Amino acid sequence: MNQNQGGNDARHDDDSALSDFLASLMDYTPTIPDELVEHYLAKSGFQCPDVRLIRLVAVATQKFVAEVASGALQQCKARQSAVVKDKRDKQQKDKRLILTMEDLSKALREYGVNVKHQEYFADSPSTGMDPASRDE
Amino acid sequence: MSDGGGESGREFDRTTKRKSSDRDFPQAIAKIAVAQICESAGFQGFQQSALETLSEVVVRYIRELGKTAHTYANSACRTECNIFDIIQGLEDLASLQGFSGASDSDHCLAGSGTVREIVQYVSEAEEIPLAHSVPHFPVSRDRKQTPSFLQIGEEPPGDHIPAWLPAFPDPQTYVHSPVLNERGADPCAGNIEQARQHKKAEWSLLNLQQQLACNGLEGPSMIDPGDAAKARRAAETNPFLSAPLHFGEKGVSPVFLPAKLSNEAVVENQAGENHAVANHVSVLETFAPAIELMKSRSCESEEGRKRVLSNQRPAVQFKIEIGKKSTGTALDLSFQNKDVEKITSWFGKDNEKDDKKRRAEKILKESMKNPQELAQL
Repeated sequence: MNQNQGGNDARHDDDSALSDFLASLMDYTPTIPDELVEHYLAKSGFQCPDVRLIRLVAVATQKFVAEVASGALQQCKARQSAVVKDKRDKQQKDKRLILTMEDLSKALREYGVNVKHQEYFADSPSTGMDPASRDE
Repeated sequence: MSDGGGESGREFDRTTKRKSSDRDFPQAIAKIAVAQICESAGFQGFQQSALETLSEVVVRYIRELGKTAHTYANSACRTECNIFDIIQGLEDLASLQGFSGASDSDHCLAGSGTVREIVQYVSEAEEIPLAHSVPHFPVSRDRKQTPSFLQIGEEPPGDHIPAWLPAFPDPQTYVHSPVLNERGADPCAGNIEQARQHKKAEWSLLNLQQQLACNGLEGPSMIDPGDAAKARRAAETNPFLSAPLHFGEKGVSPVFLPAKLSNEAVVENQAGENHAVANHVSVLETFAPAIELMKSRSCESEEGRKRVLSNQRPAVQFKIEIGKKSTGTALDLSFQNKDVEKITSWFGKDNEKDDKKRRAEKILKESMKNPQELAQL
């Protein structure tokens, strides 16, 4: 009984927290616009007149993209730190963080998305080299 | 596509020109949004292919989330999704990555780990609105529908056709009707048209000449028939090469056929009368012999008729009736009256002899053909 009551209180808390969060979502403007999210949700059969749910999906997607981007950024920084060059020009250039296909494919692999990198797409000086020696 | 207006430090690692890679408008919007999120994460530049790939993944994520939530709603015998369907979808998508509380089998969805993570993200991340304003899409174009029989007010042509159906198109759109020859069987119609065009052109020229000739003249004055004959002879070949008129003289048309009569008529009617009016009246008198001839129904040939006209001095009837027909304007549709009007203008002015001669003959010829119209004069 006590557990149930405790459980009930927790649920009420959760519900209230959720409803409060949904209310606060209306103040937050996600980067992904509502029209875009509505368009793609409608394509997949999602029917809901509530705008808060649309915002929830938009925020969830934004969080997903932010996570992927941070993962790719980690990969890029790791690559730059691994490349040790004596030339100052190279170091100055490396300060520029560019989202590359390689970093992205590695980051997405953690989320179960397999992005095949085209070997003959010349986007880096090490294109076409042996994959084992590419990370140098 | 401008790839976002408010971003700084972007660069494309391509030397080739930009390709039109965005098939769809929503995909382009997604690219802008993803680029903005990545920029907030710390990136300063993107590869075009990487950006496209990530935006494609994002679109698929949204669609997958919607599909999963819809599936959960259908499983619960609903068509509309609610918050719990979305949370379950989020849990499904995040199951690979893992979230806190994923291993609990009977946890409440409201307190799900995914929701907590989202709440945490919202509280930490700064708000980045999209750089562009997105209009409502897809834009639906209103089709102009064909009105129904009821809307038009028509009766459907048949009992089997209900009135609320769209109406049939107009028969003019599909029925081929023969082209009517408006000219009719009149063979002279074409010639008359041509003659009319010529006369129109000459009318303006004659008006100009009349103005030049009448400048300074106080009015139509008596002229010696002998002088008239002299002027006529001079202007026989070319009116422009003829001797200039002396003061008080009047250029007389060299048309020999009705000109003699018209000259005398003009001479007789000059006193105090308007020049144009006199011309009109003279035409009536000019054609009076023709009318008389037609009435008498003589079987003479054309030349005989002319000879009769030139030799005889018929009784000239001074009908000063300015009927509507004889003073018809240029817009008068009756070709007869127009020709009459134009010929009167020639009498008494310089003109080319051949044209007038031909026209006079034509007028007489047609007057023979259409006796009724002249009878009205």
